[in-house]
Amino acid sequence: MLTKGNLLTYLIALLIILTLNFFLPRMMPGDPLMAIYGDEALVQMSPQLKADLTERFALDQSLAEQFASYWLALFRGDLGYSYSYNAPVTEVIFGRLPWTLLLAGLALLLSTAIGIMLGIESGWRRGGRFDSGVLSGMVTLSGFPDFFLGILLLLLFAVNLKVLPLFGAEDVYSGLSGFARLIDIGEHLILPLTTLVLARITGGYLLTRNTMIGVLKEPYILLARAKGLKPRTVKYRHAGRNSMLPVMTQTGIWMGLMVTGVLFIEVVFSYPGIGLLAYDALTFRDYPVLQGLLLVSAFCVLGANFIVDLLYARVDPRVSYAH
Amino acid sequence: MLKIEDLKVSFDGESILRGINLEVADDECLAVIGESGAGKTTLGLSIMGLLNGNTAGQINLGDTNILTLSEEEMRNLRWSHVAMAFQSSQNRLNPTHRILDQVAEPLIAHGKQEKAPAREKAAGLLEKVGIEPEKLSHYPHELSGGEQQRVLIAMALVNEPELLILDEPISSLDAKSQVEMIAFLRRAIAGRMTLLVTHNLSTAAKLASRTATLYGGRIVELGPTNLMLSQPRHPYTRALLRSYPNMTTVKDLQGIKGRMDRRVIGCPFHPRCTQAIPICREQIPALENHEGRLVACHRGGIIPALSVTDISKSFKTLKAVDGVSLVLEHGETLALVGQSGSGKTTLARMLSGILEPDAGEIFIEHRKAGQPSKDFHRTVQLVFQNPGEALSHRLTVLEAVREPLEVQGIGTRAEQDKAARKVIEEVELPTTEEFLDEYPHHLSGGELQRVNIARALVLNPQVLIADEPTAFLDSSIQAKVLKLLMNLQENRGLSMLFITHDIAVARKISDRIAVMHEGRIAEQGSTSQIITSPSSPHTQSLLDSAAGLHSDTEIARDE
Ligand code: SF4
Repeated sequence: MLTKGNLLTYLIALLIILTLNFFLPRMMPGDPLMAIYGDEALVQMSPQLKADLTERFALDQSLAEQFASYWLALFRGDLGYSYSYNAPVTEVIFGRLPWTLLLAGLALLLSTAIGIMLGIESGWRRGGRFDSGVLSGMVTLSGFPDFFLGILLLLLFAVNLKVLPLFGAEDVYSGLSGFARLIDIGEHLILPLTTLVLARITGGYLLTRNTMIGVLKEPYILLARAKGLKPRTVKYRHAGRNSMLPVMTQTGIWMGLMVTGVLFIEVVFSYPGIGLLAYDALTFRDYPVLQGLLLVSAFCVLGANFIVDLLYARVDPRVSYAH
Repeated sequence: MLKIEDLKVSFDGESILRGINLEVADDECLAVIGESGAGKTTLGLSIMGLLNGNTAGQINLGDTNILTLSEEEMRNLRWSHVAMAFQSSQNRLNPTHRILDQVAEPLIAHGKQEKAPAREKAAGLLEKVGIEPEKLSHYPHELSGGEQQRVLIAMALVNEPELLILDEPISSLDAKSQVEMIAFLRRAIAGRMTLLVTHNLSTAAKLASRTATLYGGRIVELGPTNLMLSQPRHPYTRALLRSYPNMTTVKDLQGIKGRMDRRVIGCPFHPRCTQAIPICREQIPALENHEGRLVACHRGGIIPALSVTDISKSFKTLKAVDGVSLVLEHGETLALVGQSGSGKTTLARMLSGILEPDAGEIFIEHRKAGQPSKDFHRTVQLVFQNPGEALSHRLTVLEAVREPLEVQGIGTRAEQDKAARKVIEEVELPTTEEFLDEYPHHLSGGELQRVNIARALVLNPQVLIADEPTAFLDSSIQAKVLKLLMNLQENRGLSMLFITHDIAVARKISDRIAVMHEGRIAEQGSTSQIITSPSSPHTQSLLDSAAGLHSDTEIARDE
């Protein structure tokens, strides 16, 4: 069960991130407006606009008052205005976020699930042909950087074989709707998703396999066999369940890595999620968007960790007991 | 019926079981006892078909030799026909499943019952073994070690197996729960074929009708439990009994000399045996019938180290010793207790060859001891009452300890010196040149007595007769010298005849007690029996006059 103490940890982490988000641009040398708004804004900067912005950010006031108004804005859901997109930052980000959630969420789910399944099978047949085959495949796979894998897949399936689309999340101009649109979205998803899954699967697989090998030596496995249970039951109910526990703890940590993974993959496949957005914002030096992204991804990682914690407590009774 | 024939198990070339033959009748409980590492659990697991080592021989359950079954056939046999209450240990139960589910699981898995009735039955059993109803849905880590053990026992019974294997079933329970669990198990195993493996002899005594002692992968003694535990014949069974703390032994705990070594050739016990003879090192003794049980020993079990029959001695008109027969077994401490004038010192002097008896015979092992000879003194040595008198004041410590070797003409001077230094160290005296050159009158009473003991031991005797060895010492030194004698007895495997007027001291250090009165043996028996239920009035009066015998704690503390 999730306790108050646990929840507090998350709140504190969030507070720290939000506070840093306030201080970082203000600690940059030069005009804070420039630091906050970037080059693009300066081009359009009229004295009138400058006065507006100064007032808005309370830049003429003390740091404490600035901090207070920063928080007020946050509570209003106001992350500022993007001059390169000519839209409020929240609008820009939330327009892109669903695509990333779809891609990264599925990738995380699939890579963990497949990793665990293969790990259990491999550990059970340790030293056998299946195990050696999968193990060497995984180790080879982990040698490739994720964007390289992406480019490889892209060249093979989209450029050469032309069976899958080259870029984007859907065919915007085709005017598809309903089921046909879903299929289209699915087709666009396959390559980036596969890349991410392949890039992320090894960790979960190796961890599960190693744990499985250890778990199979535990006294309760001997007891399970002594009870005359079917090998399948021993493998999944008794060994498998205990073998996936460490992977679940790790998943929270891998979430952070997933963020950078997504950034590369979205760029490679021009997938219109927040990774690509971050890339563009970086090119335009659109600081408000970058800052907003920092907040949103921190939020997502924390949120996902939170969910993993909840799940973990359900799978491993010892966790709830420990608190 | 379970019939195990010539079962051999080895792992990576190391033999754990080396030819076990056992039978358990349909309604019988057989206990297999032995120290940890003797192969008890391996035996249990081999019957479950759960060993991945090399197995040879036969395990016949009814008409099937289960060693020939396929894995699938074995799987059907497990838990339905043969179930094992595993020893409770860390991670023995699956940490991620509720205990009720774990207990009900074999019922469901073997298709005996549907989920709901299975859980009901499991719950009933769990309650019977003493798990509170609100703990049924707990996970293992929420239970104490004792509760986990109960769960394992309930689990073993759930499918009502024909053969139940109990592996240390009460080791994690506290004293009160042990009593309850034994009572429960007695009911549960009534009419069921049961194999109990344990190092806990009182569990064996309470549950099993027959007991087998396992040592070094072989059965060394097998017989009715009460006989085995009251009069063990194999030196190892006796050693086990001796080292095991229970309510009926009163002697201070003693370990067994040495450790178990699996690679031994010949009798597996010979490196630790006090009565080993050359053949023990070469041939494995067969399990043969002796005194109502089977014993695997070339000498037919424990033999007497020193015995006398009908021995008498008179001084003028006084009959000091009047027709005494007494047996000192190998490796035991026998206390001869009596008031002064009871004749015990006279008896001791005859036994050590200083006095010649008027009538009667003395045997060393089975050989009759003739005229006191050099040979006799090599075997039997005496430690005198008054340490000062026994030592010549003209000899230094080293010379005094060396003297017996010189008299016997054993070894060169250098070898004698070396041997003397070694025993001096063994009796916990300093071996500095300064001390070795000391004369007796410079030594304290405790040191003098240790020098005496060293003198007695330097010839490597088998029997040590200690005549009131602590009479002249004050009580704190007394305790230390007693401790030393016990350690020497254990480490050297000595047979010791300990003569004392103080039954409280006798109780602490002896396996058996013989009470002497007016030149005769008034009563003899195991120490616990003599102390708790004396039959002779002379014993009773000794007990009454003994200091502090009734407050155990006091005695235990004066170590
Ligand atoms: S006397 Fe020999 S055979 Fe008997 S227990 Fe001792 S060593 Fe083994």
